[in-house]
Amino acid sequence: MVDFARVQKELQECNRDFEVSGIRVVPKSEANLAHLLGTIPGPLGTPYEGGTFKIDINLTDGYPFEPPKMKFVTKVWHPNISSQSGAICLDILKDQWSPALTLKTALLSIQALLSAPEPDDPQDAVVAQQYLREHHTFLGTARYWTEAFAMTSSLDVEEKVKKLVEMGFPETLVRSALDSVGGDENLALEKLCSG
Amino acid sequence: MEEDYYMSGDSEEEEDYYSPDRDEESLDGLENDDTGAQWNPSKAFSSKVITKESLLAAQREDLRRVMDLLSVREHHARTLLIHYRWDVEKLIAVYVEKGKPCLFAAAGVTVVERLDPESSSTLMCIICMDDIPAEDVTKMDCGHSFCNHCWTEHFVIKIKEGQSKRIRCMAHKCNAICDEAIIRKLVSLRHPDLAEKFDRFLLESYIEDNKMVKWCPSVPHCGNAIRVENDEYCEVECSCGLQFCFSCLSETHSPCSCLMWELWTKKCRDESETVNWMTVHTKPCPKCHKPVEKNGGCNLVSCICGQPFCWLCGGATGRDHTWSHIANHSCGRYKEDTEKNAERAKRDLYRYMHYHNRYKAHTDSFKQESRLKETIKEKVSSLEARDSNLRDFSWVMNGLYRLFRSRRALSYSYPFAFYMFGDELFKDEMTNCKREIKQHLFEDQQQQLESNVEKLSKFLEEPFDEYTEEQVMQIRMQVLNLSVITDNLCKKMYECIENDLLGSLQFTIHPIAPYQSKGIEKAEELSVGWTQAPYNEKCQKAADQFKGRVI
Ligand SMILES: [Zn+2]
Ligand SMILES: [Zn+2]
Ligand SMILES: [Zn+2]
Ligand SMILES: [Zn+2]
Ligand SMILES: [Zn+2]
Ligand SMILES: [Zn+2]
Ligand SMILES: [Zn+2]
Repeated sequence: MVDFARVQKELQECNRDFEVSGIRVVPKSEANLAHLLGTIPGPLGTPYEGGTFKIDINLTDGYPFEPPKMKFVTKVWHPNISSQSGAICLDILKDQWSPALTLKTALLSIQALLSAPEPDDPQDAVVAQQYLREHHTFLGTARYWTEAFAMTSSLDVEEKVKKLVEMGFPETLVRSALDSVGGDENLALEKLCSG
Repeated sequence: MEEDYYMSGDSEEEEDYYSPDRDEESLDGLENDDTGAQWNPSKAFSSKVITKESLLAAQREDLRRVMDLLSVREHHARTLLIHYRWDVEKLIAVYVEKGKPCLFAAAGVTVVERLDPESSSTLMCIICMDDIPAEDVTKMDCGHSFCNHCWTEHFVIKIKEGQSKRIRCMAHKCNAICDEAIIRKLVSLRHPDLAEKFDRFLLESYIEDNKMVKWCPSVPHCGNAIRVENDEYCEVECSCGLQFCFSCLSETHSPCSCLMWELWTKKCRDESETVNWMTVHTKPCPKCHKPVEKNGGCNLVSCICGQPFCWLCGGATGRDHTWSHIANHSCGRYKEDTEKNAERAKRDLYRYMHYHNRYKAHTDSFKQESRLKETIKEKVSSLEARDSNLRDFSWVMNGLYRLFRSRRALSYSYPFAFYMFGDELFKDEMTNCKREIKQHLFEDQQQQLESNVEKLSKFLEEPFDEYTEEQVMQIRMQVLNLSVITDNLCKKMYECIENDLLGSLQFTIHPIAPYQSKGIEKAEELSVGWTQAPYNEKCQKAADQFKGRVI
């Protein structure tokens, strides 16, 4: 079984210093602490700056003695992250995981990975090639993807609210659902449907 | 009359007659001291049988060496040895070259000064994020402390993942390998079955991570492993009686290399499905065409109609044939089909059939000769029962074992030749011209060996127990002489293979097990001496279980 007592403590601690880190972890539903959603701000001075990146987190029964499974929900252009599936190539999520690490430290490591790609150990070969050979193009694409997928303007949010309300859900519930999943329309819908 | 036969005047005569140029050799083809009726394969000092009882002792030797050398505790020694795959010499070399800190760091051994015990009564475990009473917290050698509950969870997951041999500390980026005693203690409190599994993994690491130790491939498994000392390319006999190639664990196959043998067995499997000649165990008589089954070790068979013929080629050898006809009979030399229009596939198949037929003929022979042993023993006992001057009949059994030995070498020399002179492995290694020269050289030797082996076989099959004393003496001389000759020819063939053929290859290395004149070495049981320290019961239990493993 997942050590839920520890997960609870982790969530409290993580969200306590949200103001400083900008990192947030919330359960997808209150009923199940094994499925979580993390958000990290794009690091300053990178093409990801200004974006908010959502990360899907799944905890196996062995957590924290086994690593959490994490992947990007937000599309991102980065050599170590699959542009297709959002899979992340990071050692601490595999054999270098230690039970002494937490969801927050893992997300911080992912944020650090956004700042410092490792093109020699690529997850996405196409992106890695571009990163090495046409760095300028790479920066442009990464920036474009950030603007297109990781920046939800307030207008976008209003549009999503409107859409979900039109489907028959009460506005207050829609807003809190959207908030809890970091603005993802599909996840919010899932949440609303599951009650 | 009580004089040993060898001591009588005849011995000098024999020496002159049989070994004019081999005075340093003994007459029976064995060492001079070998006078017993038993063929004594050399006691192997270069290989040992490790049984479930001696597995602990076998490791202990290596562990103790490392513990003494580096003044470390047992679990550190084991961690180092597992890292260096139980190669003590390599470990020592790294120690001498790079020093202790480097050696330790690479293997994940951390030794810190013992710190004073924590003074506070509770400690915060950063894994479960709880305050834990100090007595429920364990500190590893690297200095990292976590609560016993968390340690146990960690160990359980790692053991289940099959990582027992290298369970690292839980702290991030700490490379230290955990103390096996702590693991054993904590895990057995909650999961005794897993603790046993853990011990078994540690014990078996000595075999599984060690390139000089391998499980005996017997089925069902005899429970033993074999350790060789110097060369992993050798052939050994386990105490369960199984003989095998230590390098590839299949049947002994020298002078074939392991790769050749693997290709050959695969080829035989594949071809046997399509080519029915493989399944033919009889050959038609060249005269009456009745199928004739081979019933002795000799390759000269006789049909009930009285027609003798050569089992290898099926050709009639003449009514009045003797062994000397076989000597001149040269069907063992295969002539390449030079006809321009011969299809390549057909040629390849014929080429394979040529080698396979000879390989099979000799393999079948030595299988039947094993049965011959019993008949020959009977002949010997009836000779011994006779009131005669002849006392020593060790030459009979020795001759028989020499025959087995040589026939084995001969049999495996055919798949060897198939690959050595074929295109599959060494096409780019030599020019056609050079290959042809080498092939002739080799086939000459092979043929000499073959004809002498057949002669030896023929003599041993004779009903010498019905012969007069004088006739028996004649047979004895022939058998002694032929034993020396075949042994020498085998030696020469191996030398030729090692030096002129495989040794001259440029691009590939094909090591073969050396020729063992006295037969496959019997590995010696590793002695469990008084040095065996009292070990913990759990280890013994795990060792007991390992007896039951099936490969
Ligand atoms: Zn704990
Ligand atoms: Zn540590
Ligand atoms: Zn065995
Ligand atoms: Zn082999
Ligand atoms: Zn016939
Ligand atoms: Zn014969
Ligand atoms: Zn013939």
